[in-house]
Amino acid sequence: MSKVIRVATDVGGTFTDLVSFETDSETGEASVITAKSDTTPPDFEIGVLNVLEKGGVDPAAVDFLAHGTTVVINALTERKGVKVGLIATEGFRDTLEIARGNRPDFFNLHYVKPPPFVPRYLRRELPGRISYKGAEMRPLDLDPLPAIVADFKAEGVEAVAICFLHSYADPSHEQRTVEKLRELWPEVSVVSSHQITREWREYERTNTAVLSAYVQPTAERYLRRLNDGLTTKGFSRSPYIMQSNCGVDSLDAVARIPITMVESGPASGIWGAAELGKLIGEANVLALDIGGTTAKCSLIENGQVKIMTDYWIERDRKSAGYPIMVPVVDLVEIGNGGGSIAWVDDFGKLHVGPQSAGALPGPAAYGKGGTEATTTDANLWLGRINRDYFCGGEVEADMNAVETAIGAVAQKLAVDKDDAARGIVRIANNNMVNALKLVSLNRGFDPRDFTLVAFGGGGGMHAVALAAELGVAKVVIPANASVFSAWGMMMSDLRRDYFITRLADLAEGAAEGIEALFAETEDRARAQFATEGVDRSQVTFLRYGKFRYQNQEHTTEVPLTGPVTDANLAKIEADFHETYEREYTYRLDAPVEMVGIHLVAFAEVGKLTMTRHEEGASDPSPALKSRRQVDYALEGMHEAAIYDGTKLMPGMAFDGPAIVEDPGSTVVVNPLNKARIDGYGNIHIEIGG
Amino acid sequence: MSQAIDPFAASVIQESLLAIGDEMFAALKKTAMSPIIYEVLDAGTAVTLANGDLAASGSGIPTFVGVLDKAVKRILEIQGGPAAIEPGDLFVANDPYYGGVTHLNDVVLALPVFAGDRLVAWTANIAHWNDVSGRARGSMSTEATEIWQEGLRLPAVRLFEKGEVLAPVMDIIKTNSRLPDFVEGDLWAGIAAARTGERALLALVDKYGVETFVTALDDYLDLGERTTRAGMADLPQGTFEIEERQDTGEIWRATIEIDPDSFTVDLTDNPDQSAGPYNTSRDGAVIAAQMILKSTTAPQTPMNAGSIRPLTVLTRPGSRFHAQEPAPHGFYFETRIRLHDLLCRCLAPHLPDRLPAGGFASICGTFISGRHPDTGRPFTMVEPEVGGWGATRDRDGTTAMFSNVHGETFNCPAEITEARYGLVVDRHSLNTEPGGNGTWRGGRGIVVDYGVRADGTSLTCGYSRAVEPPWGMEGGEPGTPNRVEVLRGKDGGHERYAMASEIPLNEGDTVRITTGQGGGYGPPASRAATAVAKDRRNGLGQE
Repeated sequence: MSKVIRVATDVGGTFTDLVSFETDSETGEASVITAKSDTTPPDFEIGVLNVLEKGGVDPAAVDFLAHGTTVVINALTERKGVKVGLIATEGFRDTLEIARGNRPDFFNLHYVKPPPFVPRYLRRELPGRISYKGAEMRPLDLDPLPAIVADFKAEGVEAVAICFLHSYADPSHEQRTVEKLRELWPEVSVVSSHQITREWREYERTNTAVLSAYVQPTAERYLRRLNDGLTTKGFSRSPYIMQSNCGVDSLDAVARIPITMVESGPASGIWGAAELGKLIGEANVLALDIGGTTAKCSLIENGQVKIMTDYWIERDRKSAGYPIMVPVVDLVEIGNGGGSIAWVDDFGKLHVGPQSAGALPGPAAYGKGGTEATTTDANLWLGRINRDYFCGGEVEADMNAVETAIGAVAQKLAVDKDDAARGIVRIANNNMVNALKLVSLNRGFDPRDFTLVAFGGGGGMHAVALAAELGVAKVVIPANASVFSAWGMMMSDLRRDYFITRLADLAEGAAEGIEALFAETEDRARAQFATEGVDRSQVTFLRYGKFRYQNQEHTTEVPLTGPVTDANLAKIEADFHETYEREYTYRLDAPVEMVGIHLVAFAEVGKLTMTRHEEGASDPSPALKSRRQVDYALEGMHEAAIYDGTKLMPGMAFDGPAIVEDPGSTVVVNPLNKARIDGYGNIHIEIGG
Repeated sequence: MSQAIDPFAASVIQESLLAIGDEMFAALKKTAMSPIIYEVLDAGTAVTLANGDLAASGSGIPTFVGVLDKAVKRILEIQGGPAAIEPGDLFVANDPYYGGVTHLNDVVLALPVFAGDRLVAWTANIAHWNDVSGRARGSMSTEATEIWQEGLRLPAVRLFEKGEVLAPVMDIIKTNSRLPDFVEGDLWAGIAAARTGERALLALVDKYGVETFVTALDDYLDLGERTTRAGMADLPQGTFEIEERQDTGEIWRATIEIDPDSFTVDLTDNPDQSAGPYNTSRDGAVIAAQMILKSTTAPQTPMNAGSIRPLTVLTRPGSRFHAQEPAPHGFYFETRIRLHDLLCRCLAPHLPDRLPAGGFASICGTFISGRHPDTGRPFTMVEPEVGGWGATRDRDGTTAMFSNVHGETFNCPAEITEARYGLVVDRHSLNTEPGGNGTWRGGRGIVVDYGVRADGTSLTCGYSRAVEPPWGMEGGEPGTPNRVEVLRGKDGGHERYAMASEIPLNEGDTVRITTGQGGGYGPPASRAATAVAKDRRNGLGQE
């Protein structure tokens, strides 16, 4: 009997997770192992090796290993990168500090602008100029470079970022500077902007190059050590690294441009939702991941995630943040998770989050000294979470601490504790509803046309209430919802997104140039994959054009099928008008222009195939473990049937009010809801009512 | 609260109003044709109550928070009250004498929201259109002496009836612009934004019922008032006076009287309205005063009509801050920012934890028009400029940020400027001239060079603090003035401007923008040696 072992490891802030699928090649039967161990900063690779050992997985036997890590985002937010020197076009070294000049906190006249990652004395310039059309206006002068290198060395610079104006149109000046720099200073880490992005906007591109340089030595070292550690333990393949664009990439490629890992955590869960949708015949999915401190959501249309390059870190109502122009799945993240703290402001208004009780002290119920009520505490108080089976029975819920914490909120609101707990759940739900509206209604999609796939530790707790609020007819809670992100990683293809700015009027004669740009980019993608042993024939492409009405700024992305010819320009234009009207309620009789292309290159790397089990009897009573009173907040008090999630079998069906408990999560099923277990163990809940 | 409702439902509705304001703003910015809307975000969105009281606004520019309530109230007045408003209506206004508030370039669209046949709210937006006719390209002319010379006047008229566009009105609007395609695109962007808000508000009404909705809005205004009053408790009490010389040599005066229950701004003792386009409507002056109240009491909470209930503004009809027909308003923005800065200067010594020393504090509106040398298409570049802010009691001033009346305004990337307008941006750097020394120094302004590639181009600019520099505090030195220079390519000529329209530019000319350094705080001699060394290393700051 031969087995295929696929493993995903995910390094989070507190824990390193493992999911391992062992599939029998003949029967297709798979067994699943999950394990958790502590994350081990700064030597994160040790935690990965630990969790493999804890899960009893022998690296030598592993056929496919996918890896996700927060090492990049942590290095950025904790400011633990290296000292960077920047080389810019003459006249533009201050672009990084001038930034965009905006101030979201606009009534605050003491606003502090986010400081640049490179101070002025480490920002240098070289003469030479490219035009917006990609033509050389003034030749590059590399003569000042040795002196710049000498200064950078003296200042202890460890990485150099290079960004020149219009390098998205012609990267030759950047390329020559990189070459010369490597010659002068072979040991320094160097990155130029065109290696990361071929889109315009010099501040965004400069900052992206700078942040990439800032994390590069750290991330590269991490990836090398991980590889060495795995190899030492007998792993003979090459690990795949999760990316922010919902794909995986080879370790070598990621080590060159590690900034692309920045949002890989949320991306794997969202990709999981897209793959799950394909498996169960739901092409249109709202993905919702509720964790301990945040909730993340994204919209999947026709099985496709939306990838964009308009990504910022540390941007909110109080700060302009920093842009990173890399392909990131379009998601909205809010500070609203199980550990989010409920608080009452000076004017008697209840709020939930964005502050979180974190892992320590955690919710009051952990009994680790937490005194502030969190969403989890409210769910416990209302009986939605089982106080006798808290965290899968591993933690004894400290209900006295919960009562004190909820009581404090109730007192400030002048309501009783039950009302206060209901209020916390309702406000938390509303925060998430507004986030879900941002990815659906605000983009011109009606949530009623979508199925909500909810996962993460808190997904099942809130999903049906959110669905009812949005008019969503059906909720799916995946099997193993608490480790769903790791599953998503195992379902990912090798994927690269290429965004290239190129202006063209959408008129007769334009097709040839557009087609050539696609063809050239496809060749580049195939060549890149080829260096990693992926054959041309395995590479598939998706093409998108970014269009707008002439004179507009923001573009609308339209999928393109087949080669671009003058004959099908009219069809492309019609598709643009339609997409535009859906999002913005009107269309114009104005010329349309292309601003750039977005090409996605995929190659399958032996991802998991799931086996569907026959659905058996619908009677759920074998899984029924008890009944108890549950407060459903808006729907009132009901006696709910409590099911053991590990005993629910394909085909079983039951009606709300009910609660499903398994070691990693709790699923709340409201009165009027109808639930059914599918052939993969996922719970389908029809909202009804 | 006027009527007991479920307090959590009220919270949900109120939080959703903020989201709706942002949603409308996003729709407007994504669909607009003109860079001044989508990039500069010279635009605003709002939800008001049925009577026009501000309920919530979209993020953007603070001076546009508090424009739209005044516009809706005036529309209601002009139309003859709520009974005259029908479902399916949409009104357009741009005239400061007829609901417009600012200048003719800023066009307000207001859509009444009906729950059944009951008027429950309005959604409205305002955006700067590039050209609404008038004597000058771009409609703003320093030569204007009457408002008729500044463009088409839209006196709060219907643009939609029963949900259908009134084609003749649309034709009039398009015909009265040098850039009719832009006008049409921007108009539809505003309509999309208003409809987006309407749809979201009606979803709330459906969900919670009209009574709960209306009550939640009223309660929200009360909350705004309580928030402001709580902040007022920490303000210095008394009467504060200021007078300040302007670039023109005129003296402007303001008195702010603060007591526990009220905040009164008296602007009556000021010059008569100008013969030139440097006037503001009374509503414009009120907005400057509202911003000061908000920034000094509760800057990090949302603003609505309740937030400003304690405010009284006194103006004199016929004065600079309460202009009467037919006074022109084209460059009102520099008048209003000067007024806002005057009020900041009045209170700053008493509120060092909220207010910095003087900054460059000008819109530095820079307008370059012409034909793109590569495509032949007409273009108008509209850019405000970033500059140096004043130092505060405990840190250096902020460098290179838009003025204190801006917010989510973004500069235009050089790469886009070059492609879109066919100009060449030769540099975009920090201003390193001396100025604004102090224990904490002023933030740095910038220097930008726009190279002109085609004959027949022209420049219009509106800069103040071009003569009188930003003020220092507590012994800090003044900053440096803002200016525009034209460097002639052919004969090496050099001209300096602040307020000017339609200056001819030709191929080879360079427009050099310099924005000022902010004022310093505290005596320069007390600056820490480490800070001086750091400045020297970075090639910035005092010697």
